[in-house]
Amino acid sequence: MTTTTIMLSLPDRRRMVGVAVPFIAVAGSLAIGLLLVAASGKSVPEAIEAFLDGAFGTAYAIGASINRAVALALVGLGFILAFRANLTNVGGEGQIAVGGIVATAIGLWTPISDLPLGLAVVLPLLGGTLAGALWGGIAGVMKVRFGTNEVISTLLLGFIALLLVYWCVQSTTLLRQPQTSSATLPESLPIADAVKLPGLTGSPESPLHIGLVICLLLAGVTAVVLQRSTFGLRLRAIGLNELAARRAGMPGGILLVVALALAGAFGGLAGAIMLQGEQYYLKAGFSSGYGFDGLVVGLLSRGSTVGVLAGALFFGFLRSGGISMEIMAGVPAALTLVIQGLIVIAVAGSVILVERLERGGR
Amino acid sequence: MTQSTTAEPPLLALDGLGKRFGSLQALEGVSLGVRAGTVQCLLGENGAGKSTLCNLIFGVYGRSAGHMAFGGAPWAPASPAVALERGIAMVHQHFSLVPRMTVVENLMLGQVKGMLHRHEFGARIRDIAERFGFVLDPDAVVGELSVGERQRAEIVKCLMRDPRLLVLDEPTAVLPPGEIGALLDICRRVADSGRAVILVTHKLAEIAKVADRVAVLRGGRLVADEDMAGADMGTLVHAMVGREVKPLDVALAEPDDGVADQPAAAEATGPRRFALVCDGLSVEDRHGAVRLDNFTLEIRPGEIVGLAGVEGNGQSELGMVLAGLLRPTEGRFYMGDVELTHAGAAAVTAAGGGIVPEDRHAVACVTAMSVAENMYLNKLGQFTRFGLLHRRALHAAAETQMRTFDVRAAGPEVAFSGLSGGNQQKAVLARELTLDPLVALVAAQPTRGLDISAVEAVYRQIRAAARRGVGVLLISSELDELIAVADRIAVLYRGRLVGERPAAAGERAAIGALMSGQVMSDQAE
Repeated sequence: MTTTTIMLSLPDRRRMVGVAVPFIAVAGSLAIGLLLVAASGKSVPEAIEAFLDGAFGTAYAIGASINRAVALALVGLGFILAFRANLTNVGGEGQIAVGGIVATAIGLWTPISDLPLGLAVVLPLLGGTLAGALWGGIAGVMKVRFGTNEVISTLLLGFIALLLVYWCVQSTTLLRQPQTSSATLPESLPIADAVKLPGLTGSPESPLHIGLVICLLLAGVTAVVLQRSTFGLRLRAIGLNELAARRAGMPGGILLVVALALAGAFGGLAGAIMLQGEQYYLKAGFSSGYGFDGLVVGLLSRGSTVGVLAGALFFGFLRSGGISMEIMAGVPAALTLVIQGLIVIAVAGSVILVERLERGGR
Repeated sequence: MTQSTTAEPPLLALDGLGKRFGSLQALEGVSLGVRAGTVQCLLGENGAGKSTLCNLIFGVYGRSAGHMAFGGAPWAPASPAVALERGIAMVHQHFSLVPRMTVVENLMLGQVKGMLHRHEFGARIRDIAERFGFVLDPDAVVGELSVGERQRAEIVKCLMRDPRLLVLDEPTAVLPPGEIGALLDICRRVADSGRAVILVTHKLAEIAKVADRVAVLRGGRLVADEDMAGADMGTLVHAMVGREVKPLDVALAEPDDGVADQPAAAEATGPRRFALVCDGLSVEDRHGAVRLDNFTLEIRPGEIVGLAGVEGNGQSELGMVLAGLLRPTEGRFYMGDVELTHAGAAAVTAAGGGIVPEDRHAVACVTAMSVAENMYLNKLGQFTRFGLLHRRALHAAAETQMRTFDVRAAGPEVAFSGLSGGNQQKAVLARELTLDPLVALVAAQPTRGLDISAVEAVYRQIRAAARRGVGVLLISSELDELIAVADRIAVLYRGRLVGERPAAAGERAAIGALMSGQVMSDQAE
């Protein structure tokens, strides 16, 4: 008895509040979402059923949701790395896109299937990662050399990347499949089986692939880098006080470029994984908003790796359920986005609320 | 020139005015009268109480003792807004203009309600400027104006309120020499229009030609108040920097046995002739104004050279250049035998250049990080293995260091922001003094804001470093500090080295005169 009372001392109670408030906020916004569904004239029970079915209903649904979460988590991890240096990378979408382009280009290189040691899988992944790193690094160089705000440069570079995808799949000299008739879609050829990411479960029922393993490993590495490494501390120093960090001999400009390049690399890798794990061919709109959702995941995590994973899972399931709701129950896709927006506001708002409660309790 | 006004009562009358901040008596028993139609100069060193006095008049603070009267009625404005309303306007040292907006837009801020009539307002600005003999383009973007033009915009902002008293706080400090004359002309015209002007400065020579009366503050007391016409410059300078008994003197009285050690220290360092060499360093700011002008100085190992000067005369720029954070426009500098002009901060550290920056919070430390992290900010590599930071070793090292340098904190892991200014400074000093090798130390205003015991500790550390053969450049606006700690004192004025004197109490007046811009007869030009 005494132990429990001690355990529930003030800080613990506060921690409970810290967990409870976001939960209540999310539940509240889901309820509002259902009200909106009802208001749009659709059947609420049907919508709920479709949502649950699409998110958790089958092994396939769960696998697909987790695969979505992997892409979101990677973008989110990149975001918190750069954010440690006080850099806001909003270019996840474009970094996914260039990652996807390069992974496709390497994956469609005919001799790749014959490479040993799984290089057929690894090379496109690496290529996508490097492409993303380059894309993020450009924003870093622009920041250091010309003082361009990275929010603007990463965002605009993102638009350029989206148009690059469009160009690649429109032009047969680039990645478009050979045009046999006027009905040939503006898409690339599908990549060979050897290039596709191996499944995790071995069952054809589940689309779950090794992207999850890669993501979890990288999450571990990110956590160590942020909390234990000298590099992480330097990022923090430069984020908090660039002048003092430079005075202390830290290579300020290089650190900023590396931070943004790392964020981009995570985005590029997400793009490659999306391509090799699920979509298998490149088409316009390939990145479909994962970069921006990943940004939200990163923002809501408040710099915590675990937070990123949790947020990514949540948004992954939400997206799957939303898509299913749209197809099965006829709920407009826009409504899912509205619900998602409500949740973001609720979570962000509850974070502020919790902070205020903590400060008030002191 | 203003004999007719002597019969009238003063526009502003201060009687036994005092102001106390906690235990600090910033101002005590100041009685002064400022007459309409005159320019009253208020002279004093940093910390003499000039700003406090202005802020009392302008309603920023309330007084602790005494009385004020303005225009014959008791004067106790509750806020600057009230003071403005009732006829006192002030041009602060730091302008409050929005750089991206035009002059007219800036001046309309806070003065216009409802509809904006740019053209009429612009015409008013032109009228006022013309009346007081200068030109100001109302449609110019403030960010593109020179400092002098911005200042004129501020002055017009004040004059639009039609004040009876205009206070200018250190107006010449920000101006390039060429623009000072124009400013003084404006002051004269403002006074001639029947208003009173208070000019606050520590540069006597500059304002001598425009002032009608001059009052000197020292240590919060009025030590002189006379007609400029009959005043003797030498006496005024002496009144301004004159010997004052401060508790600081106790710390300063410690015998400087470093002098005796000097030759030995110089020999011990072997072939190195100079610890720090500045060779013709010049810095121009973004507007092309010269902030540091052909600065040349050589410091031998074991020598402490003081750099005196009123703040804003190029010390900050010199400090930033030597810290490797600002590229000089011209010139070179060396520490030991290594040229570091364009090498950057990391190379300065590697070459053995210890830097105690002037602005502790902006440059020296990351306050949100821990004491240990801050004390080893430039040496984190020592505690890194395979990219991981060995925190236990870092904390252990920091604890030892904290004991050695008497840095008082709850532990090495607490946030730096929780430390007192003195302990923060000791931590920074510890970090910079434990560089290996340490060739030169550049300490800028190292004791600012510290209490006596911390001041003492800082001096002890600096002296000990010099005894070990480190060449020290001590940049300070506290003359007492320099005289006590340095071996010789160079004086910076308007970015130029205007003279060098031995660090002796008898040189106070001479150094003070150099600091306030009086050209000495024995100065080699």
